[in-house]
Amino acid sequence: MIKLKIDGREIAAEPGATVLEAAQAYGIYIPNLCAAKGLTSYGGCRLCLIEIKGRRGYVPACCTPVEENLEIITETPQLRELRRLTLELILSEHPHACLICSEKENCEDHKSTIRKVVEPTGCVLCPENGQCRLQEVVEELKVEGVRFPASYRNFEVLREDPFFDRNYNICILCARCVRVCAEVRGASAVTVVFRGPQAIIGTALDRPLLDSGCQLCGACVDVCPTGALTERALKGEGLPDETRSTICPLCSVGCTLEVGLRKGRILNSYPKNGHPVNEGQACVKGRFVLRDVVHSPKRALRPMLRRHGELAEVSWDEALDAVAQGLKAHPEGGTAFVVSSQMTLEDQYVAGRFTRSVLNVEPVLDSPGPSPLLAFRKVLQEEGISSPLNLEVASLSEAGFILVAGADLTRSHPILWVNVLKAIQKGAKLVAWNQGPSPLDRWAALSLRTEPGYEAAVLGYLGRWLLERRPKEQLASIPGYDELKASLELVSPAGGISAAGLTMEEVQSVGTLLDEARPGVLLCGSELLGRPDAGAVRMLWNLAQLVGTKVIPLAAKNNERGIAELWSSEAANGLSVDQVAQGIGKGRFKSLYLTGIFPLLGESRPELLIVQDCYRTANGQLADVILPALTWAETEGTFINVEGRIQKFKRLLDPLGEAKPDWWIFCRLAEKMGRKDFAFQSPMEIAEEISRTVPALREASLPHPKKGRPGFVLEDKKSTTRFLPLGRPGGTARIDSDLAAAEVGLSTLDTYRGLNLCEEIKGLRRLREKSQLRDRKLKG
Amino acid sequence: MLTHPSQIIAWKARILEERPAPKKTAVVSNGICGRASGSLGIIAALNRELDRRGLRDTVGLEVTGCHGFCELEPNIVILPEGIYYGRVKPEDIPSIIETTILKNKVIDRLVYADPKTGRRYALQKDIPFYRKQMRLLTEDNLRIDPDRIEDYILADGYQALAKALFDMTAEEVIREVDAAGLRGRGGAGFPTGKKWQFCRKEIADRRYIICNADEGNPGTYMDRSILVANPHSVIEGMIIGAYAIGAAEGYIYVRMEAPQAVRQVTIARDQARKCGLLGRSILGSEFHFDIQIVEGAGAFVCGEETSLMASIEGRRAVSRQRPPFPAQSGLWGQPTNINNVETWANVPLIVKRGAEWYSLIGTPKSKGTKIFSLVGKIRHGGQVEVPMGIKLREIIYDIGGGIKDGKKFKAVQTGGPAGGFLPAEFLDLAIDYDNLVQAGSTMGSGGMIVVDETTCMVDLARHYMHFTQEESCGKCVPCRVGTRQMHEILVRITRGEGEEEDLARLQELGESIMVASLCGLGQTAPNPVLSTLRHFREEYFEHIRHRKCAAGVCRELLSLPGQDSPRTGRKTNKGQHD
Repeated sequence: MIKLKIDGREIAAEPGATVLEAAQAYGIYIPNLCAAKGLTSYGGCRLCLIEIKGRRGYVPACCTPVEENLEIITETPQLRELRRLTLELILSEHPHACLICSEKENCEDHKSTIRKVVEPTGCVLCPENGQCRLQEVVEELKVEGVRFPASYRNFEVLREDPFFDRNYNICILCARCVRVCAEVRGASAVTVVFRGPQAIIGTALDRPLLDSGCQLCGACVDVCPTGALTERALKGEGLPDETRSTICPLCSVGCTLEVGLRKGRILNSYPKNGHPVNEGQACVKGRFVLRDVVHSPKRALRPMLRRHGELAEVSWDEALDAVAQGLKAHPEGGTAFVVSSQMTLEDQYVAGRFTRSVLNVEPVLDSPGPSPLLAFRKVLQEEGISSPLNLEVASLSEAGFILVAGADLTRSHPILWVNVLKAIQKGAKLVAWNQGPSPLDRWAALSLRTEPGYEAAVLGYLGRWLLERRPKEQLASIPGYDELKASLELVSPAGGISAAGLTMEEVQSVGTLLDEARPGVLLCGSELLGRPDAGAVRMLWNLAQLVGTKVIPLAAKNNERGIAELWSSEAANGLSVDQVAQGIGKGRFKSLYLTGIFPLLGESRPELLIVQDCYRTANGQLADVILPALTWAETEGTFINVEGRIQKFKRLLDPLGEAKPDWWIFCRLAEKMGRKDFAFQSPMEIAEEISRTVPALREASLPHPKKGRPGFVLEDKKSTTRFLPLGRPGGTARIDSDLAAAEVGLSTLDTYRGLNLCEEIKGLRRLREKSQLRDRKLKG
Repeated sequence: MLTHPSQIIAWKARILEERPAPKKTAVVSNGICGRASGSLGIIAALNRELDRRGLRDTVGLEVTGCHGFCELEPNIVILPEGIYYGRVKPEDIPSIIETTILKNKVIDRLVYADPKTGRRYALQKDIPFYRKQMRLLTEDNLRIDPDRIEDYILADGYQALAKALFDMTAEEVIREVDAAGLRGRGGAGFPTGKKWQFCRKEIADRRYIICNADEGNPGTYMDRSILVANPHSVIEGMIIGAYAIGAAEGYIYVRMEAPQAVRQVTIARDQARKCGLLGRSILGSEFHFDIQIVEGAGAFVCGEETSLMASIEGRRAVSRQRPPFPAQSGLWGQPTNINNVETWANVPLIVKRGAEWYSLIGTPKSKGTKIFSLVGKIRHGGQVEVPMGIKLREIIYDIGGGIKDGKKFKAVQTGGPAGGFLPAEFLDLAIDYDNLVQAGSTMGSGGMIVVDETTCMVDLARHYMHFTQEESCGKCVPCRVGTRQMHEILVRITRGEGEEEDLARLQELGESIMVASLCGLGQTAPNPVLSTLRHFREEYFEHIRHRKCAAGVCRELLSLPGQDSPRTGRKTNKGQHD
């Protein structure tokens, strides 16, 4: 700790901290606007000027690193005057009518329409009123007038991009948005353009944000100290009257988000600093889309039953009776049951028990292709290996080497990308291995582009090269070494590599990085693992053993890890959704119970179709029974994210319509079918049973994180170090697959239960279309 | 290809041997001012006439960079006598050849005549403009064609480099430069030796040096003239400096608005590379160094060192807070030493002649010479190189010939938009860094703009403010917004809409901006205004209280007693007795 004095007070500061940070830690107020946690120092607003004893002039506290024995003076009459003048200069360019208005005290009583004005001319008309950092500083410095003539830039408010407006008339050029976009998100969509009096924030060539690489993550909106960047969700309906916390259900990262509610309806959602996992960052889905997910006009709100060819609203009793009868009528094994990977852990547990013990079938997971996580696990489990999968997101930023294979992290797991970027900025090496171009290429030390199907071959050659580099003594004691060596010798380097589209140098460079840059982590997405290629999985495992890294298959859905843990004890021989669809066509399944995504059923629909979903899906229109389920927002439960973190969330709002939680529906159905052992009264009870019956999920019933530490999936501390043989003749030949795994990956990115978010939410669709257009252009 | 220091002197000897020695030589000044005034036409005419008369073997034609007496461009110097003809036209060439070259007679009308006394001075060295200068850096310009490295070798070029690399250690070079008392010629006047030492002592795996040739101050053009006339002097200085500091890469950052400077310094650099004076194992030593030339893209703020470095790195030219200083963390985070063109050009001189000799020139605290661009309402404008300590009066009257058109001296501006105005009472000020600051101005990079009674000081202050406003990088509030507020006040005053309180406002704003701004641009932008407020306050009062502009510049205020202003056709506010 470094000792210094601020205003005569003894302060102890971390080395590397700025004087501003040190002061803030002790509650000493130094006005500032352009400084922000997590961003580099800027020194532009000049409000934080301080005096250092023994040195001439003033320096900005935000740019001054702490030094031993510094004596800082933060308040003198001159400094106060200087700050006031500087603040007035800022205000001269920022509409400040409210500041000097004589009716300020009575404003509350006389205000008329508030947020429907096109452009704010004063605080009271600005969406940021009450949350504006400029306002705070003005109040702290007690500025009551502006001695300079006002100048208004008269820009058009920019509304061309989805979700938020940009009004640069009230921008104070603190450049926080520029810095967060470049330093934290790596997108650099905006910068300061022009110079001097014309300086303003803008995109290259004044293009819309969507054409400038913006991912609409909203980080700039969150970091803007004024109302220059404001989300539209908060305009026109008033401000939230309460805030609650939730876990976002739209990908496997599971960000904690604050949700603003007004009169029991969701208005907006945003991240906060200090939240675990996402630490003040979010992505386009969690930031801007949750409201439309919950309040979609497509919500299924009442149970429905098909009578005389038409769907009619019925009571729960009638609907459940119909389902129970229908299911009993079909022979054992004749029902296909599709489980959503997005339901809560509790829902999935009850679903699993229901399917297996009441219907006597294996549930099917609702991913169109194999889930990378389940596929990975399955191959290893067959070899008796339980691979450690837990990885805290924050630890990514400490990696020395990161391989991202088969995933565009910036789209599939933006928060993971934020942490990978931190690592890169500290000197870590990134290898991006994808079928097509991605935003990762800009940051990658190496970008590998391979033809689909050759992954195992490439991994095989990598493994062989690494093996040969190591002294034999080091590895010979590891079980499986000899078989691996033998099978790798069959790998033909030249043929496989060039067929895959790579050169030897590229592969060897990857190998060198893998070997030398530590610690490493291999993040594998659906492009790589989303096809039945056991060879690739085995080689990944072997590579991980060789260099001592972890393989993390990137689960796509919010509770995919949860399902993997729930089903790991069972055979997990479930069919894939495709196989079920084919089976229906061949008449193998007489009834289909859908709780998740499923391809559109055409003419060959099963005899009995039950759809349990939050939304009136296309398949729902064909259903015999529609059971309306609650979204996560209207219930409470648990998600297990890609880290293995067991995250609990509470209800945000009252259930809409007559929809019910999924677990409740399964329990009532079980009762209707004569079972007494489905008498759960609350998700809490279910969580307790899970923690009792599933060893890896013993912490599933831990109290909410606020009261205790969060729970994680329990893993075997002792990891088995073993090599796996490649397991197939000519082990690394090209694998065929019907599905273009990349498209599979992307197509399931933006769904919640049966709702295709891209179809429903125009802003999201525009963003995805832009990315696809760019990728196609880059591919050539 | 030079692989040994001794080869430099040998080369010089060889050049002397091989060069033909014509009986007469016509040296044409073909620098920036020369070309602008038509020197290319002179050269063409000379070539034609020499060919026509078959005089190629007996009369030489040399082309140089800049002779310094810009007012008299285009000019020819006839060697070996050194006869100086100014304001030459192509039609003068035949008679120059006939009369002066062939018949040794001087053509009176082309020779410089003192406007006051009428006395003529045929020889360049006698002309008053030159006589009082101490042209340590610029005298060689008369003999160097910037396209030929051989001319520089003939002028003893690169011998200092040989001495530094083989007879001195890096620390000794730094000590020599420090003992010489060289201070940065870019304006701040920081002791160069100390600056080099700061950079050298930073532990890093690489260091950089930079030559700041951005020269954005309006009215200054000495740096680009050095690059056009004697680029090798700068290159040699940089190689010596790089050796002293321990840098393997150097950058010359030239503003793109000086294309001739870019061209000449690039040619010189390429020639130096070819000769083994840049690149690996310079002169056969173990020292490697090369120079890259980077062009600016049109921003005055790039003269500021952190913006300059950002520009070289390919980023937006925006200044950043210091510390860390470039010597600790500069280009790409590595220790970097930045010096002005003229500073680098002084280095070979110091190494060759020694610090003791150098420190005899100038004042106790400001050593050596300084090149000024003497411009404005001066009779004889041009590049003047004078020893520190010379009086302003000597520069303006003895060298510059006084105010032209019979007008009176009103003020001299030094330091450009960062400097101030000095009225007549400062004419006996001895020029050095500290004196100028005490008087309310700065040395700056060397601009010296003389104004007379037809210049309105308020309008001039407004003009400078407008300049700094446009060129501000826009990052910090005091400079971006504050200078605009100051500018608007000045505009109002020049329009006759000034208020009493405006002077206090300007003072308060100016002082605050100087103290609160992030970089040198903002920190010095109010100087012209504050210095005119200090020395020419009555003019402000005139504008504000009496709506009058005595210089006749502020159009809205023109007042002729009892009459409409001829230009605006408006009746004046006040009556004819003001």
